[in-house]
Amino acid sequence: MVAVDIIFAPIFLSVLLYFITRNNQELAKYIALGWFVVQLIIVISWYNALPAEGFYNLGTFLKVPYFDFSLTLKIDALSVAMLILTAVLLILVIFTSWEEKNQAAYFSLLVLFSGPIFGVFMTTNVLWFFMFWELTLVPMFFLVGFWGGKRRIYAAIKFFLYTHVASMFMFIGFYLLYKQTGYWDLSEIKEVMLATPALIWWLMFIGFAAKLPVFPFHTWLPDAHVEAPSSISVLLAGVLLKMGAYGLIRFTVELMPYTTIEFSNWMLIIGINTTLFAGMLAIYERHIKKMVAYSSISHMGLVVVAIATMTYDGLSAALYEMIGHALVISPLFLIAGWLHHKTHTWYMDEMGGIMKKAPYVSAIFILAGMAALGLPGTMGFVGELTIIVSAVKSFGWWVAVIAIASLISAGYIIWAVRRAIHGEMSPIVQKADFTMSFPEKLALGVFAVMIVYFGIQPQPIFDLANKAFSFLGGM
Amino acid sequence: MSFIILVATGLLVPVFYKSNIFIAKLIAIAAFIASAIAIYNGAGLNSVFPFFVSDDSIKLMEYVLLATLAAVTLSLTGFERPLIAQMLFVASASIAILETNNFFLFIILFEVIAIISYVLVANIRNFYNAEGAIKAFIAGAVASGIILLGFVLFSFVTDSFNYETMNVEGKFTLIAVAIMLAGIFYKLTIVPMHGWAADAYAQVNHAAAAILSGVIKSVMLVAVFKAFYKFLIAYPLSTVLIFSFFAILTMTLANFMALWQKRISKILAYSSIAHSGYALIPFAAAASMYAYTGVLYYAIAYIFMQTSVFLLLNDLRREAGVKYLEDIKGLGKRAPVHALFFTLQLFSLAGIPLLAGFLSKAVAFYAGVDAGLWWVVLIALLNSALAVAYYAWIIKHIYFDKAIVKDKINVSSGSLIGQLILLAGTIYFGIVAADVFATTVPLSM
Repeated sequence: MVAVDIIFAPIFLSVLLYFITRNNQELAKYIALGWFVVQLIIVISWYNALPAEGFYNLGTFLKVPYFDFSLTLKIDALSVAMLILTAVLLILVIFTSWEEKNQAAYFSLLVLFSGPIFGVFMTTNVLWFFMFWELTLVPMFFLVGFWGGKRRIYAAIKFFLYTHVASMFMFIGFYLLYKQTGYWDLSEIKEVMLATPALIWWLMFIGFAAKLPVFPFHTWLPDAHVEAPSSISVLLAGVLLKMGAYGLIRFTVELMPYTTIEFSNWMLIIGINTTLFAGMLAIYERHIKKMVAYSSISHMGLVVVAIATMTYDGLSAALYEMIGHALVISPLFLIAGWLHHKTHTWYMDEMGGIMKKAPYVSAIFILAGMAALGLPGTMGFVGELTIIVSAVKSFGWWVAVIAIASLISAGYIIWAVRRAIHGEMSPIVQKADFTMSFPEKLALGVFAVMIVYFGIQPQPIFDLANKAFSFLGGM
Repeated sequence: MSFIILVATGLLVPVFYKSNIFIAKLIAIAAFIASAIAIYNGAGLNSVFPFFVSDDSIKLMEYVLLATLAAVTLSLTGFERPLIAQMLFVASASIAILETNNFFLFIILFEVIAIISYVLVANIRNFYNAEGAIKAFIAGAVASGIILLGFVLFSFVTDSFNYETMNVEGKFTLIAVAIMLAGIFYKLTIVPMHGWAADAYAQVNHAAAAILSGVIKSVMLVAVFKAFYKFLIAYPLSTVLIFSFFAILTMTLANFMALWQKRISKILAYSSIAHSGYALIPFAAAASMYAYTGVLYYAIAYIFMQTSVFLLLNDLRREAGVKYLEDIKGLGKRAPVHALFFTLQLFSLAGIPLLAGFLSKAVAFYAGVDAGLWWVVLIALLNSALAVAYYAWIIKHIYFDKAIVKDKINVSSGSLIGQLILLAGTIYFGIVAADVFATTVPLSM
């Protein structure tokens, strides 16, 4: 029962939380924090209970006769990795939005978000997967639309519509899966030959691609990430984009491996395109948060390249980079949003000399930036190296061109550091007051520690990857 | 029993509501509950009259219908009291048309419901209401004429009017069915026979519009599917072509029209028309074993959400004069509970999961995929995704915009209870699909 409660309880808890704390706003974050800690503890208990290979069954609920439709909850190492990431990010997001306005509504929406996002990673029933997938949009829509920046309503509606429309193609793919197999459950669909695998593959790919996002479908992301409050950008980048990568692994690599091999060259080209194109857009940007957003897209492109390899090495690298991306991009978003909050400008050339006034934040910005460009000793290095090596192994030496992505990211990160952090102190920075509350500092510190820790000690993540992808012939 | 209870109460209630509407409401709700109990005990129309059969799926639809009408009754106030009696008549005629297995009775009851609906929309006397009522009446009369023409043609070629044994292979049957469908499409507000509905739903009293667009339309959907099922099976190619064509036309046009509207009632009216379009997909897929499931699920989900949004609008118009999108700015602050109800029901209409709107669409559209019409379903899905634009636009006005008028809107507790019933239905059928499948799929296997 715990498994179902962890998904559905937040939906009721969020309504309750709003009405309890409407007149006592300070209380909301503590209740939300308590709930997220409970979720983390439950997920860690599942982590310990994971079998060496395959799924850990959590039960089947809400059976529907004649339709094979039931809420089947099963987790494997991949989903546990995503669940731990989600729970940790949710806890850290509470700290980073410690002083958010209108807290009762804000934190109840965060709690509401925690239900379906767990559902996405926990269920193996395709229709329920889609239901949770769509449901995550609702709290995000309100969080962006309420607490966002100037163009927040445009960004919220664009984000909602864009990903919703893309999901519809995916949904047709799911329909065809059921039509051609008679099962909604992934483990059973896998056993049956599909009549039109290519059509289904591409329909599903559009949905995941828009979420990831990859090159032609990425235009919602800069708007949504820039207009969202930075804590919500953390969730968008850290969790929502991971849904796309997770879906890609679950539904293409695991579900239809032969079709994926057939189209892996396309995936590779789309991934490389995304990485290089988004990287170049990032160089061009003066807007600090947009730069981080494009850098985020660029890293997700690398994940697509890694998934396209269809090998054990590649998918382990993809999982590592998914977690690395969440931990590296999050502090960058947080600091970009914080700098805007303090200086009231988005443009890096109007900042400058922040190092002198806010050394702690600047140091973490530089550390996360270095991780984004792949400095050894950080998560970025391990992720990018393993991805490039596995891609070269599978596709040939010419794929080494994606190493250029590293170069490009070095370009925009170092230039950003040069413009915003170092250099002469601009009058805007001179005037601004750079005090940061303790919880925010704590959260940034935790991100920094994790970036370095998993950069030096990547084994825990690769252990999970080993459990998750051993069917591809691991070590 | 249930039929007699409802008709008798309908005749009795006008005696009370002149003096005390509260007692009239109580009597009406007692009648709804009593007839639900009678249906549960198997004392439906089929126990008294021939030509009526009932099964679990019809019973489920009847419970939903009675619960919805009870919720509507709860939210009515003084000047809307004539609706109470008419709702009781609507309920009795609806139960009859759902249970009948005779095509002749189907046509008669179709006309009866049409006549009740003319009275329903013409109750409250003001200028706009009269315009909407006249439009509904004239369009309805034209539709009745067309249906009768088709029915007369059909009655020449068949020996029996029983759904099971009627002759569908006759010489003129296809033409007769096409003509009848043309008339019935008026009632189901299918483009291009939708013109009257957009005005009538938007202009008549919103509680009457809730019954007309929510309750009557969903009952019609199920009844029409049952009545025409044999024709749909007998002419598979015509079925697919006619219903796919009108489904695509209806939803696309209605969604684009809804995008331009500034009156909330107009947006909801066009959204209702678009939903008729989605509901035609399981008709096109009559060959699938999930077709009836799709129709019934769609009707159940649609009755809850469409009735609820029009009732909410009715409350808001009565208490705060809400008409245009500007008027609901800041509603989240002015009437937080109503704003929440409105948002949830709009999300349900938009097809957001864990609300009935999603699962009903998922099942109805799956029937389409099952019958091999996946390209029609793709268009329908994209349409319903685009429809999010205007639903989200209303929600944007409710929550993201600053209120022009700041004072709170008071809502009666009766209407809150009514809305809770409707929301409970929306959420229950959004999570639990087992009931609908268990009652319908065995029938078509």
